[in-house]
Amino acid sequence: MRNTLVRSVAAGAIALLALTACSSERSADTSTGTNAGGSTEAAKGFAADALIGVALPAKTSQNWVLAGDLFTNGLKEAGFQSDVQYAGSSTTVADQQAQISAMVTKGAKVIIIGATDAAQLSTQVEAAKAAGATVIAYDRLIKNTQALDYYVAYDNFKVGELQGKALLDGMKAKKPTGPYTVELFSGSSDDNNSAVFFDGAMSVLKPQIDSGDVVVGSGQTEIKQTSTDGWKAENAQRRMDSLLTSTYSSKTLDGVLSPNDTLARAIITSVKGAGKDIPVVTGQDSEPESVKSIVAGEQYSTINKDTRNLVKQSIQMVKDLQAGKAPEVNDTKSYNNGVKVVPSYLLEPLIVTKENVVEAYANDPDLAPLTK
Amino acid sequence: MSRVKELQKSLFGGTTSNARQFGMIFTLVAIVLLFQILTNGLTLNSGNLISLVSQYSYILILAIGMLMVIVAGHIDLSVGSIAAFVGIVVAKVMQDYSVPWFLAILIGLAVGVVIGAWQGFWVAYVGVPAFIVTLAGMLLFRGGNQFIGNADTIPVPEGFRTIGAGFLPEIGPNTGYNNLTLLLGLLVGVAVVVREWRARRVRQQMSADVAPMWISAIRVAFPLVVVVFATLQFAGGRVGTSFPISGIILGVLVVIYSFFTRNTAGGRHIYAVGGNSRAAELSGVKLKRVNFLVMMNMAVLAALAGMIFVARSAASGPQDGIGWELDAIAAVFIGGAAVSGGLGTISGSIVGGLVMAVLNNGLQLMGVGSDRVQIIKGLVLLLAVALDVYNKKQGRFSIIESLTRPFRREAPADPAPGTGTDQERGKSPVAG
Repeated sequence: MRNTLVRSVAAGAIALLALTACSSERSADTSTGTNAGGSTEAAKGFAADALIGVALPAKTSQNWVLAGDLFTNGLKEAGFQSDVQYAGSSTTVADQQAQISAMVTKGAKVIIIGATDAAQLSTQVEAAKAAGATVIAYDRLIKNTQALDYYVAYDNFKVGELQGKALLDGMKAKKPTGPYTVELFSGSSDDNNSAVFFDGAMSVLKPQIDSGDVVVGSGQTEIKQTSTDGWKAENAQRRMDSLLTSTYSSKTLDGVLSPNDTLARAIITSVKGAGKDIPVVTGQDSEPESVKSIVAGEQYSTINKDTRNLVKQSIQMVKDLQAGKAPEVNDTKSYNNGVKVVPSYLLEPLIVTKENVVEAYANDPDLAPLTK
Repeated sequence: MSRVKELQKSLFGGTTSNARQFGMIFTLVAIVLLFQILTNGLTLNSGNLISLVSQYSYILILAIGMLMVIVAGHIDLSVGSIAAFVGIVVAKVMQDYSVPWFLAILIGLAVGVVIGAWQGFWVAYVGVPAFIVTLAGMLLFRGGNQFIGNADTIPVPEGFRTIGAGFLPEIGPNTGYNNLTLLLGLLVGVAVVVREWRARRVRQQMSADVAPMWISAIRVAFPLVVVVFATLQFAGGRVGTSFPISGIILGVLVVIYSFFTRNTAGGRHIYAVGGNSRAAELSGVKLKRVNFLVMMNMAVLAALAGMIFVARSAASGPQDGIGWELDAIAAVFIGGAAVSGGLGTISGSIVGGLVMAVLNNGLQLMGVGSDRVQIIKGLVLLLAVALDVYNKKQGRFSIIESLTRPFRREAPADPAPGTGTDQERGKSPVAG
């Protein structure tokens, strides 16, 4: 009998190391090492047809699908090669980590990341940086890493403020005097933006709640109590179902703060299912179904954060980096990711209700027909 | 016996499981080479190999435990949830109580032991099918993860990240390579040579036929070439990177568990229980204890895998572990284990897992979207097992068939080389 322990060692080693060809990159790397880690490397620019990686979350929202298409076409028009990837629907975080590593391997010069979990990518972002790529966080700020270069997004605190204001305006239009009974929903707690939206909205609602003009029927005003796991419609619908049973069997519900359109529609579905009148429900993202719903008078408001402008701005940053210029930023103090303040370019959001729905989407080829 | 067969036997060791392993490794090599061509050489680039190992080591660690669970005739659906639960517990104790990271790892393993004892108790001593117990565990520990973590993402300190994102340090003279990785490669290379030398000596002592020297030379040279290339590749990556720590943990586990499942009574008992539990019990195997330990072992490995993932991600999140059980189960079945239990090897499962990993990685390098990657992986899983089942029915060379022979009930277990098993596979061509 041959010694199987030793054989196992070898079998394990073979399986592990797999079969590889031989070439050392280290020597090549060290020779260019002088400009690999430094900030000077951005100033040098790169080839006009370089590879640009775009890693987006799973296709759970139409926004991400649209963003992916816009990136593919926009980068192509600008003369770059592009690699646009979505995370898989079940193993999102691990998928995105692997996709970013693959982009680094392929030698992408800029990697634009719409994070699935903004706190679980620091290892990959650091590897990208070490390999000489510039990393731009798109829409969601990547946390706890020095290696993040830029952040481009809509001003999300402003989004929250607009939602809070819309909720109050909508309820006043229906019923001139308070007190108004409302429920609060917030987004997924693994998304950095959820808290920003919620805080923005609360900055408007809190004084009203304190004065008693607005009452949260269930008493759930903490972000942890109101969060919606994974931004999933089913989770919001389930929570709304329970709220209706527990709190609103006799009371009327005047308004619901919803952080986005998918959740707003889920909330409306739940209310309709319970046979209640539809309250004032806010939203965000301008999803076609919600635009239809606003035109039909069901959902009260949404936010137009035109994905086209955000993608356009991101591609502009890539072009600047390619030319060796520092990309334009308009906020260098608000967005701290835990270890550094990330230079950001923030775009202005726009609130959309039934009143301004026609003008708001006049330039949007997909949404304009829905408003007619 | 044909000449081809004779050559095959002397080259791959003559035992059927070696021939089978060759088949699996051949498949892996074919996929690696295919992607190497399709991605213009990116697949075998050092950066990619390093990220491949660190991306999949936790899945392969799960596959080790899952192989033993499946061999014992069970299944474990709770591994992803256990991993996520342990991950959040460990992240939380480090954040809230400032527990040092090495202690946190021990706590994590201890939580794994407790969870494993819980599941093992229901499976072994109450007799609830493992499918149900672990389905319950899947819900239980997923809920536990959200209960403790408030569905929040909790960062972990730098020291802890070593087990998932760490590399061997750069020490010693500047050789242009990572010195410790070179040393590791040397160690593996020496192991390959010593293995062959000892095998020859044992056969001499047993007065058995000793293969000609040139056969031995080939048997040593091929793995050595692989080891040398792999070593240079892993050692020659970007400065600061090398063979990942998580890969070393995996390697050590593979060696220990391979030895355990092949060469110890405890390991063989698992196969006996999976093959025919009544017969095993009648011949004195402590059925309950084996089932208990197999389930417990799985939970401990799941705990380890969870911690490695958390370390690699630098944070524990609410989506950790989702779908891992399926990856691990797929690796085990592609690696040749039987659905009914009793069959399968650790190294087969590792190679099966690597086939999936290389496939995933290669498709990602080609820029194939995750939707299509999932479709392709699903088809590969189905085809790999279907092809083997078909070949077995046709009486041709079959991976599962050749694997099963030493353990089959009608043919008494006798894995010693060159005894009576050859006529059964007389028709089989050289694998691949």
